[in-house]
Order: sequence, then C-alpha cells, then structure tokens
Amino acid sequence: MNEMLQQFLVESRELADQATEGLLALERTPQDADQLDAVFRAVHTLKGSAGIVDFHAMDRAVHAAEDLLSAARAGKCVLDAAMIGHCLACLDQVLQWLDTIERTGELPQACEAEADRITARFGAALGEDAPASTATAADTAWSRELLARHPGARAQAVTAVRHTPDPECFFHGEDPISQLTALPGLLAFEAGSAAPWPPLASLDPFRCNLVLAALTQASAAETVAHLRGCSGTCEIIPIALELPGSTTTDLPAEARELLTAQLELVRDGASSRSFGHLASAAQTAANVLRSCGRHDDAEVVARLVAGGPQDMQQPLQAALVNVLAPEAPGMQMALAAPEPPAAPLRAETTSRTLRVDAERIDSLVRLTGELTVARNGLAHLASLAFREANPLAAALKARHAAFDHLISEMQRSVLALRVLPLRVVFQRFPRLLREISEALDRPVALKIVGEETEADKAIVEMLFEPLLHVIRNAMDHGIETATLRAGRGKPRAGTIELRAARQGDQVMIEITDDGGGVDVQRVRAVAAQRGVAAPEVLAALSDAQITDLVFAPGFSTAAEVTALSGRGVGMDAVRTAVARIGGRVSIHSMAGRGTTVRFMLPFSVMMTTVMSVEAGGQMFGVPLDTVVETIRVPRSSLAAVGAARAVVVRDQTIPVLDLGQMLGETGSRQDTGDATIVIAAFAGQRCGLEVDALGERLDIILKPLDGLLAGIPGISGTTLLGDGRVLLVLDVAELLQ
Amino acid sequence: MSISLTASGKILLEGECPHEEAEQLLQLLLSTPGAVVDWRPCTSAHSAVIQVLLAATPPMLGPPAGAALARWLHSYMTARGK
Repeated sequence: MNEMLQQFLVESRELADQATEGLLALERTPQDADQLDAVFRAVHTLKGSAGIVDFHAMDRAVHAAEDLLSAARAGKCVLDAAMIGHCLACLDQVLQWLDTIERTGELPQACEAEADRITARFGAALGEDAPASTATAADTAWSRELLARHPGARAQAVTAVRHTPDPECFFHGEDPISQLTALPGLLAFEAGSAAPWPPLASLDPFRCNLVLAALTQASAAETVAHLRGCSGTCEIIPIALELPGSTTTDLPAEARELLTAQLELVRDGASSRSFGHLASAAQTAANVLRSCGRHDDAEVVARLVAGGPQDMQQPLQAALVNVLAPEAPGMQMALAAPEPPAAPLRAETTSRTLRVDAERIDSLVRLTGELTVARNGLAHLASLAFREANPLAAALKARHAAFDHLISEMQRSVLALRVLPLRVVFQRFPRLLREISEALDRPVALKIVGEETEADKAIVEMLFEPLLHVIRNAMDHGIETATLRAGRGKPRAGTIELRAARQGDQVMIEITDDGGGVDVQRVRAVAAQRGVAAPEVLAALSDAQITDLVFAPGFSTAAEVTALSGRGVGMDAVRTAVARIGGRVSIHSMAGRGTTVRFMLPFSVMMTTVMSVEAGGQMFGVPLDTVVETIRVPRSSLAAVGAARAVVVRDQTIPVLDLGQMLGETGSRQDTGDATIVIAAFAGQRCGLEVDALGERLDIILKPLDGLLAGIPGISGTTLLGDGRVLLVLDVAELLQ
Repeated sequence: MSISLTASGKILLEGECPHEEAEQLLQLLLSTPGAVVDWRPCTSAHSAVIQVLLAATPPMLGPPAGAALARWLHSYMTARGK
C-alpha cells in the first residue's frame, strides 16, 4: 500500500470518528451550532480526502451527507433522529470501505452500488428541501437589496436574514420582532408587510402580516441557532465576502478601474503618503461614485475626507472595498454555508503533534527495559565492590544512584508515550448503546465520566470487548423494560454510567446501571442447576459471593439466548481478559437499585512490581498486587488435608502449595523447622505458596514468554536480574486453578 | 392598562405593551385619526402592537424607553412615516 493511501486511512478514520461523536452529541443537543459546525467540518474534510485518492464512490456518499449537514447549518432543515441515522449509516459504510482498503490495499470494487444506496437515503431525506440547497440568484435578491439599503452595515455584515412569520404566530405566543431585534451582532433591521397593509379599519391585529429582515455580524449557524423554533419561513443567507474584481457589479468597468486604482493608492500609502494624497484619492472615488449614481456611497467616502486626517486610511480602504464588493454575488450566495476553515485548523494541529508508528514506541520501551536490566547489573557490581572494600565502591555507588534516577525518569517518560485517554474506547459506546437500546426497545441514557483518564495503550485497546460485554449485560439483564420501570417508580429511561478514575497505580473503571440488580436467588438456583459449584459450597456462600458467580465459566442467567448476551461466555470472558493484563473485575449489586461492575486495571502493562522469592534453587517473581502477606509458621502446624496441606491463619484455613514441587522440583523437604509461606489471593481465593526464602521488591519490565517457553503453565513472563539470572514471574491466577 | 388616550389627545404607550393590547391600540387609532402616538415611556411592545403602528403610520413621539425599540424601530418608523 502506498504511503498516501496509508495516510488517507489514518486520517479518514479519525475524521469519521470525530463526525460520529459529533452526530451523537447533536442528537442529544440538536441546538448546538458549534457541534453542527464541527461535524460539518469533519465530513467536509473527509469528502476532500476521498477526492485526493480518487475514491469517487466515497466522495459521492460523503457528499450526500455533507449536503444534508449544510442544509441544516443554513437553517433549511433541522436534523432529526432519522437524518442523524442516515449520516451515521454513511460513516459506517465509509469505515467498512476503509477496512477493505486496509485488507486489500486497493479501493473496494463493489462500492458504487453501496454509494448509490447511501445517496438514495439522503435523497429521500432531503426530499422537497433538496432544491433549496441550489437556490437561484432570484431567491437571494432580497439580501442584496437589503445590503444596498444599509451600506454602512456591509463591511461587517456576515449573515442576512429574512423572516416571514406564520400568520397565526401571535396565537402561538411568538413575538418575532423581539426575537429578531435580539439577534446577536445585529447591524440593521427592517419590518415590512407580507401583503400590502389593508385599510386600517379592516386590519386584523392578531394576524401577523409582517416580513422582517436583518443584517447581522453573527455567523449563519449562530443565527440559525437563535431563530430555531420560529414559525413560517426563515431565510438565512451568509453574505459572501469577495475581493473586488472577481465578479461583475453594476459599476461600469471604467468606474471599477478608477476605484480599484484609488484603493491601491490608499492601501500602498498606509504610512508614506500624506493626508493630501489620501484626501485626493477619496475625492476621486467620491466623484466616480457620484457619476455612477451611487450617491449614498459617494456620501460615505466624502464624509471621511471631511472628518480630517486622523485614521482616515483604514476607514477609507474599508469603504472602497465595500463599494467594490460584488453587488450580484449570484451563485456564490446560493451556497448554503461558507466553506469551513478546514485548512488553518489542520495547520494548527499538525504543528503540535507528531504521528509516530506504535512499533517505534514499543521498540523504545523495549530498549528502556534493557537499560533497566543494565542498571540492575550496575547495582550488583556496586554492592560487590562495597563488599570487597574496593576503593571505587563509593564512587560506583554514587554513579549508580545518578544513573538509577535518570533511568527511572526515562522509563516514566517512555511509558507516558504509550498512554492514551480512555476516551478512545469510551467514545465508541454512545453509538453502540443507541443501537442496542433501539434493538431492545429500552430507552437508556449513557453517562460518561472521566473519559480523560489515561492508561497504557495496550490496556485501553483491550478494554473494548470486556466493556461491551458488561454494557450489553447491563442492557439485557440489568435495565428493566420501560413499563416495568414505570411500575417501580423509576424514570422510564434507564441510565448506564461509565466512569473512569485514576487510583494510585491503578485505573478504575465502573459500569453502573440503575436496573433491577442481580437476582441472587436465581443465580443460586442456576449455579446449582448448571453445576457451577457443589450444592454444599453454594449453600455456604454469601449473597456477594453468589453474585460473583456470574463470572464463573459456563454461567448465564438469561432465560433465552439473545443476540446480545446470554450465551454464558460473556462475564467469564470479561474476567479472563482483564486478568490477562493484570486487572481484576468485581461486581456489586443492590436488589432493585442496580448493579456496578468495577474493573481495577494496572496503569501500565509494561511495568510490574514483583516480590522475588526463592524456591527449589530458582528465583521467582510474585506479582506484588496478588500478595496478601507473608508468614513464617512452624512446619508442624501445616496440616495434611488429603494429598495436600493447609495452614490455619486467623481462623481461616488456607491451602498451601510447595512452589518448588509445583514447578517441577523433585527434592523433598525436611519436615522440621519453619516454613516460609507467601499468601497470595486472586478472585477472592487465597492460597499459600511455600518458598525457601523471600527476596526483595523489584520494579521490572515483564517480557512475555515466547518461542519454546510460551507453553509453560503458571509463568506469565520473565525478566533479567542484575546478576544475569532469569527471574520467572508467576501467573498466580493460573497456579490457583 | 398600558395603552391609553391622554387628555391632550395623544395615544400613550407605557411600560410593556402585550399582544392583547393591539386591538385596543387599533381602536384608538381608528377613533382618533391623526393622533400622535407617544411611546416614550414604552419599554417593550409585542410584534402585534408594532404591526398596528406599522400599518397605521401615525406620527410617533419618541424615542421609547426600551433600548431595542429605540434602536431598531423608532428611527425606522419615523423615517418611514416621513
């Protein structure tokens, strides 16, 4: 695939995501003109990039969406749910095309038909409105006349408005004049009659016969937002600001030439020319205008001269530009909205950020890992030198300390490169939730809190599937139907809250629904029926422990398997996926009030804190977050339970495994003296690991096992120790199974 | 009542003139042709009231107290009346 196509893929995905996000926001706040502008800009740029790689089908499809958005910006239509749906469908199609391009390296073959389907949807949506987006010059004549009547406003006018309220509007509580005179940045206002005023005696004072017109400094989008909800017709036209000379005006060519020459004189003469020069230029311009019958404009220019030399250059220049501005903007005016300022925006963002291949950052992380190993080696040397009373020991130790500090700093910065905000994954949910909510016909609002919370890229990227499972479960089993909710005195629409927060070295994500909570009795019954645990075990479990069984393999309480969830793999898969990156999932439920599923995730998967232990002559690392405590007990207190052993700690019986034996060590232990036991916990289970000696706490960069070692059970990865030995890091979850 | 006929024969618009008073204003204008409308004490007027003034084009005494009325309507209406 060539580089341009690659760039196109990256950018188009970003733009499509931006647009999708914006559209979903618009659905919640349809009045948000800024949001509409942002969506329009993204879609517009997306269309442009399709053009660059000659992808005509995409160009066509996105163009259709752009037309609709453009009509909405100009106030010709209001985006409703169906229209937003069309736009989302279009973006969906674009994303599918992008996937195809990524897979095949070529533009998709059968895309024309798909583009037809998309444009057909938009065609139907725009319906009668479609011709409006290609308004003729006649439709905009009023705006030119309005400008002509208010020459003083032309320099600043951005938008022209003509509002013909519905004749019945007074009965609906509308006050169109107040509304229009309250327009932001209003420059000129006129009120006239739609039909000629009847004789006063037959005037119906409660029937609106007004036509209101205004010129404002506000953008078309702002004006649209201000006038949304007005009855009758509301024409809002952006006033094209053209440089003189580009289009025809009603000034004769010679007059234009003369005026342009004066303008150039004024422009060039900003500082060097005297008042006299400016005054004579102004006088000439005024004369030319007068000779063309433009007395108003001539008056404006002449008054400037009369005003004296202070600051005459600027207003004179502005006045001349105004006069030369096209009187008949023709089709330019017909464009529903001005071109979005896409180019400057881009320049701004590219200068501050750099797009780097994730591979390169990963290799930097690996190198930093090696550096850490090298540093540990130096630490080893320093302590050797110290023990042998080498004169260099002190200097070596000082160097090591400096080195240590720098490397820690570097490690932090490098890991920060891999950090992404959770927004990356969270932003996909509003859209999905909308679909699920429609499919299940259960209205649900999604609340996202803390989406700026950051975590390692690897974690952010793996989160989507587990979170989706949990959210689907919440929709399917948690949130009740609208009628049931109404019966329980809850708002009809359910709420799902997705909350993220940084807690020390960990990132917490909570998914809370305000549904019915987990039905503990049902979970107990189903667990017994499916043999998830023995009946006597189930009987002994507390409600919280029973609730936790939803994570057990092969468990599902859904009465029927739906397309969404209930295949009995969801929550099990969630716990496994989260455990794989060193995280934990827990569930808290309150009957009738809702359920919270909490993910506790490490901030970075690359750095792990372990406690080193020795067993069977080999060093092992136990991830520190699984270690509950370490104890020393007389070997005599280890009781044999069947083939295994157990120890009683604070009235709790904990099974004890011999780490050396478990990992293939054959030598047998003596049965006297004390036993050193590390108590580890995972998913609520506790287990003691008997070791020969306890080591120290180490910050390591874990390397996953690969090649021949990949299959070793109970080991999650390795790292090199300072003295060159390999530290095997235990996978406690796997050991406990 | 914010619309009234003064002893001197002027039609006085005071304070806020809601849409219900458009009818009364129309009646006053019809019964006293040529009367001056004094809207200096007027702070705001509904479109229906302004519509009657636009249709009747009486001589206006102003500017009204309401800033929007003074800025956007008074000069416009007096200029049009000329």
